[in-house]
Amino acid sequence: MQYKRLILILAALAACKQSSQQTEQKPASEPGAAQQAAAPSGDVVSIGATLPLTGAESRTGGFYKEGYDLAFEEANKNGGIDVGGKKMQVKLTLLDDTSAQATAASLADRLINSDKVNFLLGTYATNLVEAQSVVAEQNQIPYVNGGGAATAIYKRGYKWVFGLLAPVELLAESIMNWLDSEQAAGHIPKPATIALLWENTSHGKDFRKGVTEHADKTKTYTVAVDESFELSGKDFSALLGKVKAADADLFLADAHLPDYITMQRQYVTAGLCHKVTSYGARGSEKQAVDALGKKNVEYIVSAVWWAPQLAEKNPEAKKFVDLFKAKYNGRVPEWYQALGYETARALFVAISQAGSLDREAVRQKLAAMKVPSLVPGGTLEFPAQFGQQIHAPFVVMQNMPDGSAPIIAPADSATAKGIAPDPNCGKK
Amino acid sequence: MQRAVELIINSVLLAGLYATMAYGLGLIYGVLRVVNLAHGGVIMAGAYAGYWLHVEFGIDPYVSLLPVAAVAFFFGVLMYRGLVHRLPRGAAGGVQSLLLLFGVWLILRNVAYLLFTGNDQTLRTSYSTRAVALAGELVSVNRMAVFGVAVLSLAVLHVLLTRTYVGKAIRAVAQNPDSCTLVGIPVERIYSLTFGLGTALAAMAGLLGATLFPFNPSFGSGELLKSFVVVVLGGLGSVAGTGIAALILAAAEVLPTAVPGFPTYLTAAVGFVLLVLVLVLRPGGLFGQRVLG
Repeated sequence: MQYKRLILILAALAACKQSSQQTEQKPASEPGAAQQAAAPSGDVVSIGATLPLTGAESRTGGFYKEGYDLAFEEANKNGGIDVGGKKMQVKLTLLDDTSAQATAASLADRLINSDKVNFLLGTYATNLVEAQSVVAEQNQIPYVNGGGAATAIYKRGYKWVFGLLAPVELLAESIMNWLDSEQAAGHIPKPATIALLWENTSHGKDFRKGVTEHADKTKTYTVAVDESFELSGKDFSALLGKVKAADADLFLADAHLPDYITMQRQYVTAGLCHKVTSYGARGSEKQAVDALGKKNVEYIVSAVWWAPQLAEKNPEAKKFVDLFKAKYNGRVPEWYQALGYETARALFVAISQAGSLDREAVRQKLAAMKVPSLVPGGTLEFPAQFGQQIHAPFVVMQNMPDGSAPIIAPADSATAKGIAPDPNCGKK
Repeated sequence: MQRAVELIINSVLLAGLYATMAYGLGLIYGVLRVVNLAHGGVIMAGAYAGYWLHVEFGIDPYVSLLPVAAVAFFFGVLMYRGLVHRLPRGAAGGVQSLLLLFGVWLILRNVAYLLFTGNDQTLRTSYSTRAVALAGELVSVNRMAVFGVAVLSLAVLHVLLTRTYVGKAIRAVAQNPDSCTLVGIPVERIYSLTFGLGTALAAMAGLLGATLFPFNPSFGSGELLKSFVVVVLGGLGSVAGTGIAALILAAAEVLPTAVPGFPTYLTAAVGFVLLVLVLVLRPGGLFGQRVLG
């Protein structure tokens, strides 16, 4: 009898676990509380946006807000943006979507139909952007976002949605391109074997696709291990046992920060060492260095959407880094703030180019946009063949023994030469 | 052959972790018939306590095991006296205790959010990535230490329950609290003692877990579910069964990875499949339903 009750309890527990996750996303303030109210008027361009300022994504949402704030402040400094020869102030109506998909969608609807904003900026995280972009498309309002990377968002044939986050396949592609150059230089074997581990999420699947497609195309890599793992895993020892047995040349994984820390700790403990080790977008985070020790993250290769080191070669990136440091007490920006800033700036540029607040005119300017930008590659454009999602390259970085993480690829952004094979192999 | 040795070592070490997580839950359910949903919260609190002692005072996590367990014991006793004590016991109090203890979990979680934010934290020591060779395999010192604590806890619990007066009283209360009252055993005191013990064991498990993985205020949810699987597999109220069940669960998760083509991400589901099978085929647990010891 008590076991029947236990089954019920387990079912309840599973439900509780779900609800507890939702509880984490409970807003600290009332959902949708306006950060800066703005009524549209003749001299003001009213732009609406939501961000996850509370809930699971609040940390990142806060970073994006810093980017938006900086962009609006800069635009308004010189009297506003030029719209058809007239200076107009830009006003941001920013609402808190509490990291919830439904809230993000309903607040977008409110911004368009109640607050009557002229244009929309996007929120952060693929699932929220996915939901919100539907509302923008239905209402035919230009929607520029820097928080949705999944290609699925841009494969729906939408006309009004523009994305500044390049797809994750390109992340893998960027790393593979660097590996190609190392193969050509004779630093790693040709052909090389890869142990590929990826988290069982759309992010991980896109990463896997990028690696395997590149391997198929170039025929200079063999994937010896191709395994997925659950997000927030606790024990990777069995998986790493497979990696060890395969004795591959390269270790490529795609993981979120906690999994990167856990896996790399077990990787080091198991005595593993590969000619090149990468955890996708993870590698140089201070938290990981603190958790693992500088020695244990040396020579790890990572690829990210943007890095402050780009300022050394890209004038737009330098301008942004200088502005950010001036506003935020010398703090160095991360890619979140950079993408937030550039998302808002892209919309301002399109409005100026259109010379009016006409939605269709601004949409056309966004679709045809090709302007100098802080993104890697230096040009901002939304190619129609990719559903208006930017296809800027990722910057590949490598952790160096002195604690720095210079950009090692692409060549036009590189601030140092990459090192392969890992000189520590055999020493550890 | 070497791969087999490696898989066996991995299974045994993982079992140590699972066992430490499950002892507290099994003990409290075995005696009080209360499903302690706050178990996950206490695991998380134990992790943060060890982290705080390490970061603020530089105390080694294994040294802080005893003080953390002692504080958790008193917290457990307070929780029993202040909250659980007021609920009807057994089937009658099932839903109430579930809700109450879930509430305690949520409070603990939000206190952690308030004090430590939602960011992931890591407890790093000088031996976090150190390994020793064992049967030709490099084995993490930390994992071996966790296994050692698990075995020691099992032995201490076993001795406590079978060789001491208090332990015998706990087992007697688990069997028949009414008769215990008749023979002069202070049932309420035994209940609060058991709740304290279970809470202390959960906090220790959390601290040990923190030496292995990053954690945040949500830490403990997955651990609670694994604990359930272990406790049910072993038979509710069986301490030795809990240890063996932990080994079975760990082996069931680790060994299939040796099968070519087996998708590794399914390992997490193996335990729950086992749970369903046991509940359907052998509802008393693999080792039958014993009453502690």
